[in-house]
Amino acid sequence: MRVNPLKKSIWVFHLNTGSCNACDIEILDALTPYFDVERFGIKLVASPRHADLVLLTGPITRKTLPKVINALRAVPRPRYILAIGACAVGGGIWYDTYSVIGGVEELKKMLEENGIEIDKIVYVPGCPARPEAIIYGVAVLLGLVEQKVHGEVKIAE
Amino acid sequence: MSLKKLLKPFKLISIAHKSGVVTVLYPYQKPLITTEFRGKISIDATKCMGCGACVNACPPNALTLSRRDDTIVLNYFIGRCIFCGRCAEVCPVGAITVTHEFELASASTRDLNESLVHRVEKCSGCGGGLGATSRMLQYVILRSPASENYVHLCPNCRKKKLIQSLAMKMGARTEDYEG
Ligand code: SF4
Ligand code: SF4
Ligand code: SF4
Repeated sequence: MRVNPLKKSIWVFHLNTGSCNACDIEILDALTPYFDVERFGIKLVASPRHADLVLLTGPITRKTLPKVINALRAVPRPRYILAIGACAVGGGIWYDTYSVIGGVEELKKMLEENGIEIDKIVYVPGCPARPEAIIYGVAVLLGLVEQKVHGEVKIAE
Repeated sequence: MSLKKLLKPFKLISIAHKSGVVTVLYPYQKPLITTEFRGKISIDATKCMGCGACVNACPPNALTLSRRDDTIVLNYFIGRCIFCGRCAEVCPVGAITVTHEFELASASTRDLNESLVHRVEKCSGCGGGLGATSRMLQYVILRSPASENYVHLCPNCRKKKLIQSLAMKMGARTEDYEG
């Protein structure tokens, strides 16, 4: 019988890929007793091998790219990524800079080339994303809440 | 020394008792949102005229303007927005408001795009594309009423009109142009 790991507590690994540290501070904030994500069974682990979910911050600089790929390869299946902050989602303010690859969208293509499958990615916009937004992102990933934003096309009459 | 060590847990308990529970029960308890808090922006489709001032001001190019045939599309990619509010500051018609919305997590980047489609006006002389929306023309006329005579013409037709009126002044006849 296959156990769905997301029915159990999820363990998270914090992966900084060259962020400005504001998003990381917000993640730490979410882990403190003030927001206390251990209420939901979310626990920080020190190794990607123990993690269900990778909290990825930063626009993925070229310097960190090999390490990011190694870390993601070490995560057991199913692999989940929470892309936190404008940087991780779309490259943020650095999206066309020479030294970054420009967010998780680009990383996804590279991972596919390397044969690393990612089962689900949830994007959390914000610069930085608030701790509540991160908690909400995890809830969207777990399917506990419906996502609120839906792309829309409006016509100016 | 050892007595001090023994008493430490009790000291901690008394400190914890004094400070009480600090945890915010987020989904059940309202998060702290001040009036200055900036979340996602919202573009009013009834006001925006597609001028692109916000696109110039946007630091990460979360707002982009693209021209396709006879439409101008203003696209807002929430994923790259840094919620700085500069667009709301520069918009000449106040079409952009900064909302308090921050629960924006999404399973695909496609859901993070919002577009606003404008129709481009046609030149009243030759019928070609004018590169401006009707709201832009109205805005210009409101600021400078004298422009009403030529604002609906494309640059080429404006040139023609100018040359024509100069020639008329110098004695040419209307038939020369209508033939
Ligand atoms: S999204 Fe903003 S706050 Fe987060 S790492 Fe990037 S620049 Fe820093
Ligand atoms: S600045 Fe205002 S009017 Fe101009 S394109 Fe942006 S939202 Fe529309
Ligand atoms: S709030 Fe800032 S980053 Fe977001 S669309 Fe407006 S100008 Fe761009």
